[in-house]
Parts: sequence; structure tokens; C-alpha cells
Amino acid sequence: MGQVLFNGMYTGVQYSLIALGLTLIFSLMNVLNFAHGQLYVLGGFVTYYVYGGMKLPFFAALLASALTLAAVGCLFQIFFFRPVMRRSVREESSMLLSAGTAMMVESLVLIFFGEKHRGVPAVVNGVYELGGVFVPKGRLLVMGLSFLCMVAFILFMRYTKPGRALRAMAQDSETACLMGVNTARYAILGWALAAMLAGIAGAILVPISGVNSGLGNWISIKTFIMVMIGGAGVISGAIAGGLVLGIIESLGYHFFPGGETYLIIFVGLIVFLAVRPNGLMGKAV
Amino acid sequence: MYLEAVDIHVAYDCVRALQGVSVSLDKGEIVTLIGANGAGKTSILRAITALKSIQGGSILFDGEPIDRLSTVEIVARGIVMVPEGRHVFPLMTVKDNLMMGAFLRKDKAQIAKSLEMVLGLFPRLRERIGQVAGTMSGGEQQMLVIGRGLMAKPKLLLLDEPSLGVAPLFVQEIARAIVDINREEKMSIILVEQNSRMALKISHRAYVLVTGKIVLGGESGALYKDERVRHAYLGGSVE
Repeated sequence: MGQVLFNGMYTGVQYSLIALGLTLIFSLMNVLNFAHGQLYVLGGFVTYYVYGGMKLPFFAALLASALTLAAVGCLFQIFFFRPVMRRSVREESSMLLSAGTAMMVESLVLIFFGEKHRGVPAVVNGVYELGGVFVPKGRLLVMGLSFLCMVAFILFMRYTKPGRALRAMAQDSETACLMGVNTARYAILGWALAAMLAGIAGAILVPISGVNSGLGNWISIKTFIMVMIGGAGVISGAIAGGLVLGIIESLGYHFFPGGETYLIIFVGLIVFLAVRPNGLMGKAV
Repeated sequence: MYLEAVDIHVAYDCVRALQGVSVSLDKGEIVTLIGANGAGKTSILRAITALKSIQGGSILFDGEPIDRLSTVEIVARGIVMVPEGRHVFPLMTVKDNLMMGAFLRKDKAQIAKSLEMVLGLFPRLRERIGQVAGTMSGGEQQMLVIGRGLMAKPKLLLLDEPSLGVAPLFVQEIARAIVDINREEKMSIILVEQNSRMALKISHRAYVLVTGKIVLGGESGALYKDERVRHAYLGGSVE
């Protein structure tokens, strides 16, 4: 059982990292980013090429993934979301657009990186055993890095001036503008940060699970589940949702190895949302 | 004139909210805009801060045209609007809300001074400095948004309905604060109010708006005694 819980925590911490980016975009721009999973996949492929292909150190690859995805996030906002949101009168347009960008990124990844499942050599080898629970060092590294990124993100949002401006913008965009916050510029920063978080999550997972071009949609859907569990637009909600989904998933795979796990999760989610429509941490509307 | 809006026109879709309105303000003045709901008072403030673009007319501040600038540029020039309806940042603490007001300022020592000034003006905010803003009462939130506006150290403060939905006791405190900042900080203020009685009492000059046009203007004291104003906006009662 300890092993199942450890596996759940391990999955959950990464999920939280992915969910943070999604919730950031949602709260800042009211955009449900269907392409979030594809950004994650792209981050994974960058690391696959830099670490697996060019044989550079893993941390260089991680940095490359983070920077590439931050740039992609900026481009998303500047060339897709800003022009569309400016012209459109309906909020749904942004959803359709993000679904479109998801297909675009997925196709581009397929064209440039191929359809094969790609893996890279482990960064660290070896296993610890703690009271009957096997803890592979590689997974510990993934957990540590995810945890560090989350802490860094929270500190940034809480204690820096740009972080405060982003929070203000998420809570009341027009009023933030009246305080002198250049909301157009901060929207770009928000996208860069969110895409970067997805990219980092993709990158740190390649050495363990590998990556392939078709993963994106499934990751996006899982991220939506996490955000629904935790509560949309709240940082603590994203983290809680990620952990909860990771642990439930791990328990499910243990008790129902036949594949009923996600069926049960979806049914459970419907019941949960009927009782708590705003999720665990969400505020009442 | 410090601020001069000449013949401004504003429309929302097909509804003409302002039809050639001219408003001016001298340095150090409190000017109030009174009128019924939907008369266009807020539209004037939104036009000045470029939250709403104008279809005609011009706006000069300190001798320079500002009607082509963005909201952020206008804030940077010292025109700060306190929006209607207590727009605090609900999930932030009182302190963080106040610091957002000083977003464009870099002089740390001066910011600390402004913070002291605001907390002196509204002692209640000092008591609640660590509280999450969304959990405060309506009156306290109104004090917070005014304080947050002051943190920008504005040259011209635009107040939109500061007494709306606020308990009578708080209305008095807010009115006193407005007079204080005008006197002590030499701040020019445009006050939009539905509480015409309070607004006319504390302002120097006033404009009366009816459906997007200015129908009356002049010294607040004189307007307070004007029969038409008394009848339409002060409930017709004679003291």
C-alpha cells in the first residue's frame, strides 16, 4: 500500500505542475487551454533532442525546454489569442482557438518528431528502499524538481511585483489596468509562464516515461479533471487537484488493473461536481 | 485650466452616452458631477482614463492632449480613477491591494510615506492590514479602493460613486477623507456622486448631467440653493 501511495504522490506532483499552468491561463485570460497537453509533449521532445540526441547535460535540456516553451507561449498570445480576443465578441471563440492550436501543435510535433514513442537514458540510476517501499532515484529527482518549480512559482506570484500584477490582473483586469498594469504585456508573460510550466513538466518526465506525439489530448483532459477537482483559477486548487488525481489514479491502477480506473474517476467526478460545483478550493460564484 | 474636456462624444454600440459634454477643472479644485443613473457621469470618467474611447472632442491635461493615450500612459501622467462598486482585488490582502496602487512608482521611501498617509487617513485599514480584502465590509472596501488610488500619488483623482452602497456612518468618514486629501495633499478631485447633497457640500464646483448632456453648472454652493437642483436631486426638501 505504501508503494501505491508513493506512486500516487509521484504522479500527483507532476500533475500539479501541469495543472498550475492551465489554471494560470484560465484565471488570467478566461481561456481554457486545450493545447496544454500538446505544450507538455513539445517540452518533452525538446529534452529528447537536447539530452537524448545532442547528449548535452540533462539540466541544459531542461532549460532548453523551459525557454522554448516560454517562447511558444509568447507567440501563442501575440499571434493567436490577442488578435482573436480583440475581434471576437463571444468568449467561446477562445476555446475554439485553443482547440485549434492543440491540433496545430500536435501536427507539427508529428511532422518534425515523428510518431514513435521516444525515451532517453535515465538521469540517475538506483533505487532506495524505505520500509518496503521502492523509491527509484530517478523518480525522486522528478518529484524534487516538480516540487522546486512549484515553490518557485508560488514565491514568484506571491512576493514579486510582476507576480502581484498577474494576481491583480486575474482578479480584476480592468482595475489592474487602472493601477498602471500594462495588461497586454502581462498577458504575454502569463502565457510564457504557463507554457513554460507545461514544458518543464514534459521535460522532466522524458527520462522515465518517454514521450510521443499522441499524448497531448489525454494529458489535457487529465489536467481539466485536476482543475475541476481542485477548483478553477486557484493555485492551491491546481496543486490539490493534481495530487488527488495522482493518488486516485495510482489506487485505481492497483485495485482495477483491467482499465476501469478512468471510468470510475469520471463517474466519481460527475458526482463530486454535483455536490461541490466549485471544486475543493474554488470560491462560490 | 488643469483638466479640460471639450465637446466629448461617447457611444456604446448605438446608445449615445455623451453628446458633446464639456467639463473643466482648476488645479486644487473638487468638481462634482451629479445626475441620475445612466446620465453619463461614469462615461466622463471612463473617457478621461481612456477605458472608453471618445468619438469626438478633445481632452487636455496640464496643457497637453491626452485623448490619444492608453490608460496606462494616463495613469503614469498622474490621473488615477477609483472605479465604482468597490473593485478591490478580493483575494489579496489589504497591504497588497494598497501596494498595487503604487505599481508605477519606484521611490520606495516615498511609497512608504504614502502608505503612512493612507493608513492615517483610514485607521481602519491599519487594523485590517493583513486581512484578505474580499472579506471586509462594503464601507471598508470603499476606503481601501480610495486608499489604493491615493497610493499612486495622483495629481488628479477621479472618484466614481464612493458612497454607493455604503453605510451612512462610513459616508461621513469618506466625505471627510475627500476634503482632507484635497486640503492637505493639494489633490485635484473629480467626484461622481448620486448622493448629491454630500457631493455639493464638499465640492467647489458642480455639473448637472441629464441623459448625456450638461444642463447646469456652477459653484456648488449656488447649485445647492438652486430650485431646480433642489427639486430634482435633493428630494425637494428645504432646510
